[in-house]
Amino acid sequence: MSPSLSREGTLSELGRALLRWLAGWWRILFLGALTLVLALSPSTYYRANRQALARNIYLDTAPNLLWFTVLSALISLVLIHIVVVTAVSYGLAQYALEMVVRVLVLELIPLTAAVFAAVRVTLPNGTEIAELRARGEFDSLQQRGLDPLQHEVLPRIVSGVFCVLMLASVASVLTLVLAYLQVYGFTPEGLARYTRDVGRVFNPPLALIFALKTFFLALAVALIPVASVLYDLPRRARTSAELQGLVRMFLAILLIEAVSLASNYY
Amino acid sequence: MNEKPSAPPSPVAHVEVKAALLLLLLLLLLCGSILYVMYARGVFESTQELVLLADDSEGVRPGMDLTFSGFPIGRVRRIELDADGAARIIVDIPRKDAHWLRESSVFTLTRGLVGTTSIKAFTGIPSDPPLPDGAVRKVLVGDATAEIPRLVAAARELVQNLNAISAPDSPLNASLANAQAVSGKLKERGALEFLFGNEAAAKRIVATVERTQALIARLDALTTKADAQVFGTDGVMNEMRATVVELKATLGDARATLKRVDGLLQEVQAVASNARGATTDLDALRAEVEANLRKIEHLVDEVNRKWPFARDTELKLP
Repeated sequence: MSPSLSREGTLSELGRALLRWLAGWWRILFLGALTLVLALSPSTYYRANRQALARNIYLDTAPNLLWFTVLSALISLVLIHIVVVTAVSYGLAQYALEMVVRVLVLELIPLTAAVFAAVRVTLPNGTEIAELRARGEFDSLQQRGLDPLQHEVLPRIVSGVFCVLMLASVASVLTLVLAYLQVYGFTPEGLARYTRDVGRVFNPPLALIFALKTFFLALAVALIPVASVLYDLPRRARTSAELQGLVRMFLAILLIEAVSLASNYY
Repeated sequence: MNEKPSAPPSPVAHVEVKAALLLLLLLLLLCGSILYVMYARGVFESTQELVLLADDSEGVRPGMDLTFSGFPIGRVRRIELDADGAARIIVDIPRKDAHWLRESSVFTLTRGLVGTTSIKAFTGIPSDPPLPDGAVRKVLVGDATAEIPRLVAAARELVQNLNAISAPDSPLNASLANAQAVSGKLKERGALEFLFGNEAAAKRIVATVERTQALIARLDALTTKADAQVFGTDGVMNEMRATVVELKATLGDARATLKRVDGLLQEVQAVASNARGATTDLDALRAEVEANLRKIEHLVDEVNRKWPFARDTELKLP
């Protein structure tokens, strides 16, 4: 083979890879839009589907909620203690609380909740979907007149989003309570000042960015693992499709974090 | 990883109720958090506005506190530029805390070396009228970092001055050398010779002083004699006292004489008034005489006209 032909072959291979990569992202976005439409459509919530949705929401969230709450409380306690002690030793005690709220509630907890939900819920959901497709259950559902997207995929994506939002909300509230107790102790005397400090941190742009970031993180970790295995051929390297989904998910998390940090601090 | 059987799914008791409870919990947490943040941001508080004018609003951010005695009593809502280019810092003061601010309150903007800028309020006279809504006040800027260059410049100037003063050819050194020379001369020759430059002049001064002393002694004697002459038994003062007594008696006589003259003058005044009345009568008499004379003259004229020897006074045309 001549060098020019080999170069052309490499280039065309690269081009095809790029196209496949872009097509994968497009499928993810398309599935996201489709899921949103289905989630907002009342016809989705017929009895059998409603039960499937409730079952997914309960089974994906409830067992993880306690563990995640305990773990995040322990990590928060350690971090709050480190931040408060360091700030006091530098004579900057008045900024300790603001730093705790910014570092833990705004940055770490949504990210941790998203990664935790991905590992415990959404990646296994993706594997399940891939197995269902591999067993041909999607075809049998279609033969029975049921939409596999509505019946199997949507409940898993919705429960993934719900799980992230639930874990992040509970852990954030718990961290705010722990921060107050660490700084002021078991007394209501510091509540007014603490409330004022929290209010100063959560200015409207920051609160909006925080809410959007948490929502998009939840959407990314719930959607990408499922979407990555849904459109690939079942026989064609299923493991590679899952790995691809994992990489795409972490890439999306990184992108969301970068955008939120840039919006908050620049 | 979750091990969930794909089909058929294992039944979960009351799954819909449990899922609904989870949804409710999430809704509760989200709504509670939103309401708490809104409360913390002061959305539900009734506030009044205070506008602070500053030349430079660097370090001031919306949301930062206005403190009074270390307690936050207000929050910066907005920063804008006014028509003159000054920064307008608009602060929301909750009405429940507004009573701490009075007409005479002073506001400062302090920038620390470490940490954020802070706006503080001070009220010196708590009995002043309360600050009205929408009041505009100038804020005093105290900048710790801005002081450093000024301090360094002042210190450098001071060191330069000290160097100039302590240099070997400095005026201070020359003055000290002169002072040393002067003190040496003083020690050797005495102050007078040092002041007048030569010995002869110093001697003249000493002679002058001696003569002045003699003069003072003579003046002293002279004063003693004058004292005896003035205040002695036959001195001028006793004679003066006797003269004054005599003068007082003479003045009494003069006063009596003057009283008599006064009576005389009153009489003269009465005579003068009589003479004025007589003069008035004379005027009336004279008027009557003049009237009679005019009548006589008229009569004579009439007689002349009617008399046969009267001249023909008529003019006849030719």
